[in-house]
Amino acid sequence: MKLLNSSTVSRNSRLKLGAIIVALAVLIILPLCIESDYIKHLLIMVCIGTILGMTFSMLYSAGLITLGAAAFYAVGAYTSTMLVTSLGLSFWAALPLTIIISAVLSLGFGAIFVRNAGVAFVIITLIFVQVIVIAAGQIEFLGGWGGIMNIPRPDSLGPVEFVSKRDCYYLILAILLLIVVIYNAIYSSRIGRAWRAIKLSPNLAGTLGINAYRYRLLAFVIGSTTAALAGCFYAHYFQNITPGAFAGWLSIYVQLYAVLGGLEFYILGPAIGSVIMTFVPEYLRVVKEIEPIITGLLLLIIILFFPGGILGTIKNPPDFNLTQLKSRLNRMRISKAQGDKS
Amino acid sequence: MALLEIRNITKIFGGLIALRDVSFDVNSSEIVGLIGPNGAGKSTLFNIISGFHHPDKGRILYKDVQINGLEIDRIARMGIGRIFQEPTLFMQETVFENVISGLHRHYQEAAWKALLHTPGANREENNKRDKALGILEFMELSSLKDELAANLPHGWQRVLAIAIALASEPDLLLLDEPVTGMNPSETASMIEKIRQIRERGVTVLIVEHDMRAVMSLCDRIIVLNLGVKLVEGTPDKIKNDERVIEAYLGKQVL
Repeated sequence: MKLLNSSTVSRNSRLKLGAIIVALAVLIILPLCIESDYIKHLLIMVCIGTILGMTFSMLYSAGLITLGAAAFYAVGAYTSTMLVTSLGLSFWAALPLTIIISAVLSLGFGAIFVRNAGVAFVIITLIFVQVIVIAAGQIEFLGGWGGIMNIPRPDSLGPVEFVSKRDCYYLILAILLLIVVIYNAIYSSRIGRAWRAIKLSPNLAGTLGINAYRYRLLAFVIGSTTAALAGCFYAHYFQNITPGAFAGWLSIYVQLYAVLGGLEFYILGPAIGSVIMTFVPEYLRVVKEIEPIITGLLLLIIILFFPGGILGTIKNPPDFNLTQLKSRLNRMRISKAQGDKS
Repeated sequence: MALLEIRNITKIFGGLIALRDVSFDVNSSEIVGLIGPNGAGKSTLFNIISGFHHPDKGRILYKDVQINGLEIDRIARMGIGRIFQEPTLFMQETVFENVISGLHRHYQEAAWKALLHTPGANREENNKRDKALGILEFMELSSLKDELAANLPHGWQRVLAIAIALASEPDLLLLDEPVTGMNPSETASMIEKIRQIRERGVTVLIVEHDMRAVMSLCDRIIVLNLGVKLVEGTPDKIKNDERVIEAYLGKQVL
């Protein structure tokens, strides 16, 4: 029986605190050590990817699988852009407004979507993101398929002007850290526990008085609003948005960040997945034509043989032996044969 | 006083009549047994009381309020707890976390206060932890508290299921086969636990196949057969009732 005594607990928490401080220091010093603007750009994309991956994980923690993580990312990007370019608001006024508008919209759509958990929800979110993309493309007012150009960068805050990649990095890092702190608090509160309960056993959660619908809706609203916040930053960082940027593949990638890092690690999983999925394909560009094939193969191997993701595999290393591998391949062959028959 | 009133419940699945015009009462602080051969409709009735199914006809009153038609979680918040026949736990969580989840409906402080760790919210969290530890001690699960629910032996999973239900502080507890599959000593201690639960003021409605357990535990027994209430009475009356013996117990048992 594994019973943690108090000294190991405090040592663990001290280790954790140390790791957090080191990680923070690295994240803050990193752009100062890097010359290349291109790498800084990738770091910014890692932060955005992490945020989006975390929104996927939040819905997953409540037992919902979304293929539309990019939907409210697009909503946030377009809302903020319109507020700034059409109404002439400053970025810092548009940001909270975007959050409020996205929260209200996601509450409205979520109220319909989360009525169906399971496969229905997956399909609905998949369609929803396409609807958003097509709507943005068809509506002239939103710039049509050509998108919107020349979106201003975030207005300067005192001496900080968000012109350089470095300053933009610090802005998105601050947003990311704020989200991490909030998400961490939510996961360790009774809300996070209720989500877990709904995911692990909806029936048991129900008999304990947990309203699955309301808690799932809450996860949807928080996740969507967070994605909108990331979208708001994205629009003003890239300075142009097109509907195509939010189309199908992005949502799939976001999901891969979470799966690759480790589905059960709601914060660190997407972060690690995002780092790998951002940097590895970039360096595979040397062999550009076959880059998607290699990336795809790598993912296939990880999902098939390390379903816990990277962190899950580190935490519970599988005792790999050849017979196990063989039987696993055999099972796959059998299930494939059965699939062919039917 | 009747805590739960089952009134003329009829439930039809497709062409199959699972329950036909079943009525009975469960009084406060009673232990009532619900028995009958397989397919008698016992589990269907449990599912109707806890809101998983809705009856085609009839009403269910709990504390004089009609509850059929309400959502599962709503019924739970009114004070009806249940355990399922098949082990239904939060398998990937520890025993302690399972019980904490059971306490969910008794949190009073606003959720945002918990996020900000206000003193009030922290105090509440600590109270809940103490309460969970108390329940674990009562159910003799303390030594297993950091074990994953999935790793518990079958008998202990049953005990944990009851601990979770107790954490939600029900006034009425529905137990679906609490001792089935247990060995005699586990059964005896479970019976003792159920008695103690009743002494805490919880009313218990129990479905069980283990006749010896039912007879020794229940104040009153209701026998269902093929969806119809056959007879109702004290264990002694049930033991000697011709119809029950014929329909259910079989000649070799008595």
